[in-house]
Amino acid sequence: MGKKMKLAGTAAVAQAVKAADVDVICSYPIRPYTATMIELARMVATGELDAEFVHGEGEHAQLSVVLGASAAGARVFTGTSGVGFTYAMEVLSPISGEFHPVQCMVGNRTLDPPGDFGSEHTEAMTGRDQGWIMGWAESPQEAFDNTLIYYRIGEDPRVMLPQFPCQDGYFITHIPDVVELPEPGQVEKFLPPFRPKHSLDPAKPVIMGPQCRADQGAAIELGRTNAMKRARQVIPEVIKDFGLQFGRYYDPFVEKYKTEDAEFIFVGQGAHARTAKSFVDMARASGQKVGVARLRFMRPFPYEDLAQAIGHAKVVGILENSNSFGSVLDSGPVTIETRAALYDLEKRPKVLTFMEGLGGEVVRLNDFAWMYKIMKEAAGLRNPTPKVFWVGFDTGAIQEA
Amino acid sequence: MAPCRGQGKDCNAREEVAGVATKGLTEITVWYRGITEGKISRDIVNSLAKAAEREGFYTQAFDNYGDLPDRVYVPCRSYARISDSPIAEPYLYENDHPAIVAVVEPTMLKGVPVLKGLRPGGVLVVNSDQEPQSLLRYMSDIDLSNLGAIATVRAGGGALEGALSGIEGATDVSGMGGGAAGPIAGAIARISGIVELSSLEAVVIDPSGARRGFEEVKVHWLGAEGYSPGEAPHDEHRALGEEVPAIIPSPVGENDGMITGNWRFLRPVINQEKCTQCRVCDIYCPDACINPDPAGFTVNLKYCKGCGICWTECPVKGAITPVPELDFADGVVRFMI
Repeated sequence: MGKKMKLAGTAAVAQAVKAADVDVICSYPIRPYTATMIELARMVATGELDAEFVHGEGEHAQLSVVLGASAAGARVFTGTSGVGFTYAMEVLSPISGEFHPVQCMVGNRTLDPPGDFGSEHTEAMTGRDQGWIMGWAESPQEAFDNTLIYYRIGEDPRVMLPQFPCQDGYFITHIPDVVELPEPGQVEKFLPPFRPKHSLDPAKPVIMGPQCRADQGAAIELGRTNAMKRARQVIPEVIKDFGLQFGRYYDPFVEKYKTEDAEFIFVGQGAHARTAKSFVDMARASGQKVGVARLRFMRPFPYEDLAQAIGHAKVVGILENSNSFGSVLDSGPVTIETRAALYDLEKRPKVLTFMEGLGGEVVRLNDFAWMYKIMKEAAGLRNPTPKVFWVGFDTGAIQEA
Repeated sequence: MAPCRGQGKDCNAREEVAGVATKGLTEITVWYRGITEGKISRDIVNSLAKAAEREGFYTQAFDNYGDLPDRVYVPCRSYARISDSPIAEPYLYENDHPAIVAVVEPTMLKGVPVLKGLRPGGVLVVNSDQEPQSLLRYMSDIDLSNLGAIATVRAGGGALEGALSGIEGATDVSGMGGGAAGPIAGAIARISGIVELSSLEAVVIDPSGARRGFEEVKVHWLGAEGYSPGEAPHDEHRALGEEVPAIIPSPVGENDGMITGNWRFLRPVINQEKCTQCRVCDIYCPDACINPDPAGFTVNLKYCKGCGICWTECPVKGAITPVPELDFADGVVRFMI
């Protein structure tokens, strides 16, 4: 068993980056991601990690630098948060479109306004359609593990896509928890050196991301679509291999926490899904049939696994930590995807959405009790309304439409 | 928690759940001044948590996210949470109901709501040379009914060395529990019994400091009854909230939403006899805190940070003098965002 340390998610990721023997790092500070930069800078300065450390002049530069380095065949790492993420937006599609398996950690931070530091998933969600692998950790240990797992998935020749391993700002990035670090040699077995089929080499010139005609565009997009589809096959293989190597076995796509016989199931991801599990433990103690389906990936979205995990429930309660203004039911991306995933089932659960933790507001066990109460009331209704509740707000009683 | 806005009776069910969640959980809050004392504060919570872990407790130790990124002298908080069962709510910003509060620099007693949310019978430990009961004079505006004891320990000041190690969730590579942190943690162990001294000595780099704090702490017991870990906190419910506007009128003159007088531990005192009213202090003050009243210049203590620029720039020797803030009973600014 490897050494155990108490690390915040940001520090845990830095340890994983070191273990992954990354070649090029480009950083620009923004909270809450900053501590990962601090840690990596220290490691490079002390010689603990042999990597090129580039100070970007902003997030757009960060992503541009790692694009180039990845194209040259380097394993690269960068990271950002909040408005830094949206500033880098332009470079996201070129990176995935040219098949550079760049890794960019995201420590979630709410966009402005409200301009606070709190965690909300919206900023990363704006990048969900850019061809990047994306998902959330629920603990510093999972953040550590995801760093390695995502490199392995992204660098798989069948995939070759960039990755956004996300962690809730503060809750995961700044609150230390026990992290088991790998033993020498363990990571090398799981994550072999990055050897891309194509890299920038004057002796063997290639063009990455050539300008094309409009009639070639669809075919090029098909390439990325198929790569993401193949990631769905690759992910379970990688997760299984990770379990064999490190002894930590994850459900590949959806953690099914006491969902098997559950009549009421929360769907969520990241830190709040972790608190939901605490609520489930307490509610189960008094005989309540409730569970949590925790999404481990948002891209590729595991629609089949999710439908299988929650399709039998009476009521599904979505923990929506992002906002998509003017979307279906004026909710957010997890609602849109989950509802779509359930659409083809012959018998569908009732689906409610809880807008929770927006702007980084804390969501506590007693809030889950309140959500659960509404879910139970919905079970007795044919077509409950409203379908979206804002946690902590008076949204009116649930009733028949 | 998200407040229960306008949901009357549902709140009762929420409180029942909260009671279970906090059973057997003790929260420790440490107040410190930004940057200069951050390392001391982190060391106190980390060493207490680590000591408790050795005794088989479940623990967390972390900084208040909203207080960071800290700036020099800004009041900030670190937290430890020690529980006899796995912590059911691991992801909170703040300690709502601390049973133990420590203050690394005593001027903060005048500047922050230091006992906010204190459990009945909770204890306050202050790094100070003074007798514990004498500190109560800085807290005359605070409800002390929950305070079980106030204690002082002469732990020394904050060295800047290593101050940034471990900041923002990064790993501390400079060693834990040296300097002022050890004696303060030792004093906390003594008067709260939250951890054994031997556990604390085993985790800090300066066990003698922890022992000294344990042995030399001075305690003044007050009337409040002992803390019971099983007790449920009572959540405050905000009034029914609708939208909060993103565009608001700007404060003019003074901003009551950002009071900075509690950054100050040295107060500029103007000697009117010597002051020539040249206005150099007024020109240099970054916060426009000098009121150039021809009848005698005054300092706006609500916002003066005690930065020292005025008494450094003043061309007349002795016209502006820095005086320790604790020498004054007035100038209390009870503010925290």
